[in-house]
Amino acid sequence: MKLLDQLVNGLALGAGYALLAVGWTVLLGAARLVNFAHGQLYMLGAFVTWVATSALGVPYLLAIPIALVAVGVLGLLMQLAMTRLVLEQNIVSLMLVTLAFGYLIQGGAALVFGGNPQRIPSPFTGENLAVGSARFTQQDALIIIAALALYAATYYVLSRTNIGRIVRGVAEDPRLAQLYGINAARVYLGVFVFAALSAALAGAIIGPRSPILTSIGFEEVIITFLVVVLGGIGSILGGLITGLGLGVFVAVFGAYFPPAYSMAAAFAVLLIVLVVRPEGLKIR
Amino acid sequence: MSVRDVDVRGEPAPGKYRWSGSTGRRPALPAAVRLALWPVLLVVGYLAPVLLGGSDRIYATMVLIAIFAIMSYGIDIVLSYLGEVSLGHTLFWAGGAYVTAVFSVKYGWGPLPALLAAIAVVTVLAVVLGLATNRTREFVFSLVTYAAAVIGLTVVSNNAFLGGSDGLVGVPLLALPAVGGEYVARSNAELWPIAFVLLVLVIAVIARFRRSRLGATALMTQMNPDLATTLGVDVRRIRVLVFVLSAPIAGLAGWLYAYQRSYVSPDLLSAYFLLFMLTAVILPGRRLLLGPLVGAAILTTQQQLFSFGGDADKIVLGGLLAAVLLLSPDGLVGIWRAVVRRLARGRASRPEPAAEPGAS
Repeated sequence: MKLLDQLVNGLALGAGYALLAVGWTVLLGAARLVNFAHGQLYMLGAFVTWVATSALGVPYLLAIPIALVAVGVLGLLMQLAMTRLVLEQNIVSLMLVTLAFGYLIQGGAALVFGGNPQRIPSPFTGENLAVGSARFTQQDALIIIAALALYAATYYVLSRTNIGRIVRGVAEDPRLAQLYGINAARVYLGVFVFAALSAALAGAIIGPRSPILTSIGFEEVIITFLVVVLGGIGSILGGLITGLGLGVFVAVFGAYFPPAYSMAAAFAVLLIVLVVRPEGLKIR
Repeated sequence: MSVRDVDVRGEPAPGKYRWSGSTGRRPALPAAVRLALWPVLLVVGYLAPVLLGGSDRIYATMVLIAIFAIMSYGIDIVLSYLGEVSLGHTLFWAGGAYVTAVFSVKYGWGPLPALLAAIAVVTVLAVVLGLATNRTREFVFSLVTYAAAVIGLTVVSNNAFLGGSDGLVGVPLLALPAVGGEYVARSNAELWPIAFVLLVLVIAVIARFRRSRLGATALMTQMNPDLATTLGVDVRRIRVLVFVLSAPIAGLAGWLYAYQRSYVSPDLLSAYFLLFMLTAVILPGRRLLLGPLVGAAILTTQQQLFSFGGDADKIVLGGLLAAVLLLSPDGLVGIWRAVVRRLARGRASRPEPAAEPGAS
């Protein structure tokens, strides 16, 4: 029953990918913004959780909101610095600025947290659950529940509420939206902070699965790109499905081939998809 | 009043690039003076290490400036003229270095065959990546090229043939055939003439590209793709051509770096070199012939001679790029022009003195 093991493992992995990508999907799809420092915000979420639990002795579940607040404030500051570029919708410059911010955050984190791999102590990583012969931890279950809940909430807010209408309106035409009395800058700020918070949440919840390093952000952001581009830019449902699918793909691939190449294989799939279907797997 | 005061820089459409450029600007100096300036610049440039004291540290810094400048010229073509942000150019830079190391360490090839192999491999890589991303739009292009570079990093770090995370060590000395035997570069001082000549050649190629039909067309596809299409330009073809042209330049830098450092390792694909080449182009200002050279010189000098340690240098590099883009998207030249404009305006507002003979 090796396949079942990998399927369960892949779903947990994929839920993590989806959780990591949801902020980016909203950022790009609903607001036409990008943030290349997303992976570093994820890293920071994980490391703040680690500091809170290991150094300050805060219980794990209380450390998560601390990480959210810390990264949320950082996201707020980043967005405030970029307000002019954001209002101009200058995506090229935004891309480069956030890339630079990410590098800056990585350098700062290495200075503050040191270069050694660390483990976040979580009370849920020890307990084993089982589906048939496949075993997984409570932490895995937490990741899956968090991902599904966050996607459901995001989908609901964007498509059914007034806030969602405003966000989509600003994405469609920021100037026109402003004519209707919407403060576009504040909407962008809200969306950006939401994306930062979701990255921090992903870091705090996925972090305990494996040792964390300050350099993980550089690679984590690639998963986000794969999910966002493959899922069709900005498609919430596409992001969730692609995230889960990518997780299963990586898990199954890793069972038969060297796991180091699983991301490369996923990327090869992306290149083929781009040639055949540049709009991704989005169904409209 | 000259054409310069009527700068055609209207409000661009949302979502379009708004990088104001220097092309089409009237040169500040007469052509004859500019022509005479180049040989002076060449001589001063070549003698720069001697003028700065000639220590081994100075020579090492100068050689690295030349190498990193060539590397930055690769991405410069795509960034400045095509207007696309490729985040995958570390692939071509690292590709050039790795091919050189593999062929010289494992198969004992000389520098020139290794250079040909490096250029061939890097060009094929660029064709594949260029064609695959050809239909993607602005930021998706960047996402995919970025992903390509990071995936390249994980593959190289885990591939035993390429030395894994340790890389390949023992790249031999750079020995080129010369009159009466061969020229062996045993030190940075002996590497300097080679690095300098290659840098000058690359700048000449870039200068030629700026005046070429391809360069002009690339600029047109950046500024107004619709107009370009209307005029019968195949935008996708131009994009692939320019992208592919840029790869061997970065590969050439990688080739030289493999000999300078005598080993290659996966750090060539790290964010450091990506941020370096982007900053080297953007910091002085895009679309300047000598821009990447100036940028590479500033960054290399800081990191070689005034370093604060690896992690702090990351903050410097990241902070510098972010600051330039947020404060003056046109780079240092943008600041300079703003100062000049303000001075000119200040002078104009003062009452003009009596007619100056000969003033235009």
